[in-house]
Amino acid sequence: MPADFNWAIGGEAGDGIDSTGKIFAQALSRAGRHVFTSKDFASRIRGGYTAYKIRTSVDQVQSVVDRLDVLIALTPRTIEENLDELHDGSVIIYDGDRTTMQGVEIPDEMVGLDVPLKSLAEDAGGAIMRNVVALGAACEVTNFPIENLDSALQKRFGNKGQKLVDNNKDAARLGRDYVGDEYDHEFNFNLETTENDYVLLNGDEAIGMGALAAGCRFYSGYPITPATNVMEYLVGRIERYGGHVVQAEDELSAINMALGAARAGARSMTATSGPGIDLMTETFGLIATSETPLVIVDVMRSGPSTGMPTKQEQGDLNQMLYGGHGEIPRFVITPTSIDECFWKTVEAFNLAEKYNIPVYLAADLALAVTEQTYPPEAFDMDQVEIDRGKLVDEDEIDEWLDESEHFRTHALTEDGISPRAKPGTAGGAHMSTGLEHDELGRRTEDTGMRVEQVDKRNRKVETAIERESFDYREFGNPDSDNLVISWGSNEGALVEALDFLAEDDLDVHVISVPYIFPRPDLSEEINAAENVIVVECNNTGQFANILEHDSLRRVQRINKYNGVRFKADELAEDIKETLAETAEVHQ
Amino acid sequence: MSAFNAIGDGRDVDQNEFTPGLEPQPTWCPGCGDFGVLKALKGASAELGRTPDEILLTTGIGCSGKLNSYFESYGFHTLHGRSLPIARAAKLANPGLEVVAAGGDGDGYGIGGNHFMHTARENHDMTYIVFNNEIFGLTKGQTSPTSPKGHKSKTQPSGSAKDPIRPLSLALTSGASYVARTAAVNPNQAKEIIIEAMEHDGFAHIDFLTQCPTWNKDARQYVPYIDVQDSDDYDFDVNDRREAAAMMAEVEDALHEGTVLTGRFYVDEDRPSYQQEKRAIGEIPEEPLAERYFDDSYEWERSADHFLDKHK
Repeated sequence: MPADFNWAIGGEAGDGIDSTGKIFAQALSRAGRHVFTSKDFASRIRGGYTAYKIRTSVDQVQSVVDRLDVLIALTPRTIEENLDELHDGSVIIYDGDRTTMQGVEIPDEMVGLDVPLKSLAEDAGGAIMRNVVALGAACEVTNFPIENLDSALQKRFGNKGQKLVDNNKDAARLGRDYVGDEYDHEFNFNLETTENDYVLLNGDEAIGMGALAAGCRFYSGYPITPATNVMEYLVGRIERYGGHVVQAEDELSAINMALGAARAGARSMTATSGPGIDLMTETFGLIATSETPLVIVDVMRSGPSTGMPTKQEQGDLNQMLYGGHGEIPRFVITPTSIDECFWKTVEAFNLAEKYNIPVYLAADLALAVTEQTYPPEAFDMDQVEIDRGKLVDEDEIDEWLDESEHFRTHALTEDGISPRAKPGTAGGAHMSTGLEHDELGRRTEDTGMRVEQVDKRNRKVETAIERESFDYREFGNPDSDNLVISWGSNEGALVEALDFLAEDDLDVHVISVPYIFPRPDLSEEINAAENVIVVECNNTGQFANILEHDSLRRVQRINKYNGVRFKADELAEDIKETLAETAEVHQ
Repeated sequence: MSAFNAIGDGRDVDQNEFTPGLEPQPTWCPGCGDFGVLKALKGASAELGRTPDEILLTTGIGCSGKLNSYFESYGFHTLHGRSLPIARAAKLANPGLEVVAAGGDGDGYGIGGNHFMHTARENHDMTYIVFNNEIFGLTKGQTSPTSPKGHKSKTQPSGSAKDPIRPLSLALTSGASYVARTAAVNPNQAKEIIIEAMEHDGFAHIDFLTQCPTWNKDARQYVPYIDVQDSDDYDFDVNDRREAAAMMAEVEDALHEGTVLTGRFYVDEDRPSYQQEKRAIGEIPEEPLAERYFDDSYEWERSADHFLDKHK
């Protein structure tokens, strides 16, 4: 288990919590430390508790734990909200001069550092820098060289002038010196630095970066938490590669625009969350039946309806698998980590074009807003390959004409895959339609052709299963009797839970599944294990239900749907309890 | 203007090229106004020197949606109300295409109304033909967004209590830079207006009166019609937004009083299209998005530094 350190800053929304936290995370990353961040936040712009939490270590960290070592508290509620995570010796930095913080009580077993954040910030040039004063104080507490903070401040404020950067550096030093001068407490934290080079990014950014690398040239979307960052990432970048981002009037338009651009020949994508998926589902069938390649990103949040827009949930699996009337062939991919958000996005584009099919790429809020460090090699662009499938140009049109010289856009091929010709390609004029159609894309109600086209569309999926590797990821002991299966973002917490379980001599085999459809056949693994537990962030166990169906065996479930992601230590406890319950039943 | 337009100029194209060998004869009801749209569209496309390979025609759901089957081109018969976002994105991805969207009045002014408003607002460079028969034809005669107040149907047996939508005024208010009304019974004017709409750099909206002799028997056949540009009785400046607005209100009122007024009602040649606006601020590249894939000499800029530096 990594020797980790857990830090947070909390206050009201609008207090600059997010940007302050990001500065510290960047400072740690630039100092060669691994970082994993998480956010507690409300959707209101101002008002309401919000916190930015950082777990850091010299080793890789990929989950949050229920422990907090240093907390910068701008409001009394920040302390209340985190009492469970604070422990003996935890340090709380606060400004006792702040009206709401006067007379605040710090539990005896903890160390309260009353630092006049606002007045020190004013000394440095402005009250607005009070959070940076607190960061300076945190550097002193954690024995973290303040020069690392300087470089992050330079990055954050550099484009606003050197004066502002210098003021911030001064503010940080005033915070550091105040703690050094006023408190002679021995702090046991030591955030050592390394020479390693890391990048720090969240899942939304990784998806955006993956789209650019994969040659996405058209993105249309409608703002929605927590998917908007994908659009914000692409705007300003995609143009450099010849692409364009459209902010559409609604999600209906967003997906139809992506569809239009895809038919015109551009690699296209849209991203949204559950409420947007509801609207987009109308067009989903048309995409599939017209055999147009498209990537649709669902960054899941808590539902149903507006639900809890800023909270974690993996509740859209059934919607993605079964949404839409009629029977719609589709792929559903669920990246299990932030670096995988990048790679699975690249793969989603290739799968969409190789099989002329809509691909759901399902991330969730926990992946989307979490930042994690990786070595730059984790995103090696030279490994990116682009396969545009059976997209034909004017020289290849002839191969696909019928005896009447018409392009067979829905040709009944052996592997089920038909050619695409984008409008403008000489000699390829043809139509397609949401109506059932023949090989030429013309409407038909011929019973034989109907069956042939349905079979052909499904045959593509069979072909994909033969040709592609829809495999799972494996951790822990593959020979263990205890099998824990998860999908999507829970992987990091599960992998770290293995360390906690090992402390109790419990060994577990973890299977993390990035492909829901088509998916790896787990029936052998499930039937071979003594105990099988499926972990997911929803109430009904949507993936567990699928696995029971596949394996014809009942599984145990760990479901979390309170809006908070799994934490490694908590998940280890849940697994222990579930295994103990099963043991009792067997006795 | 794109490279395609330059190629098209002066080229000789026979309008029969747009008649598909597979379904040369449409199955619309005898006397249907939709024949008039098809004929005018073929004539306009040929006169502009476009070939079937250069045109993308997207349609919605309704009798009008069959247009794709009877017009040889790249075609996409889409969903009810969604032809506009599909069409405008295809134009963005490949500006060399001649993009035309078509649908009925229920499709465009009802279920797709939001897209109509915003495509006009954004002034996308495309042509939108609305087959306005003041009825839902394909589902057999229900009241539509353009049916006059008092219109009786199986869904409104006591007569519609709703005022009809004002398509021309809505287009103008929303931001369309070319707004016209024509009628199937006037094929020459219809062809000329479609030509103008296709040549217009911006969103061109044509409210096309298409009589429905099957389900809207009570309605006029839109004869006699008056071309306001040819009549001495109507004097207004089509380039002046206020005068156009007043004229449109008169035209919309007159239709339900039995007078069919057609012609161009608003033309703004100066307003930049969405594409032009976005290109001016660097958000749309000079080269078409889709075409870049076909340029083998184009080197992908995929340097890791480019992407990753931001995250250090």
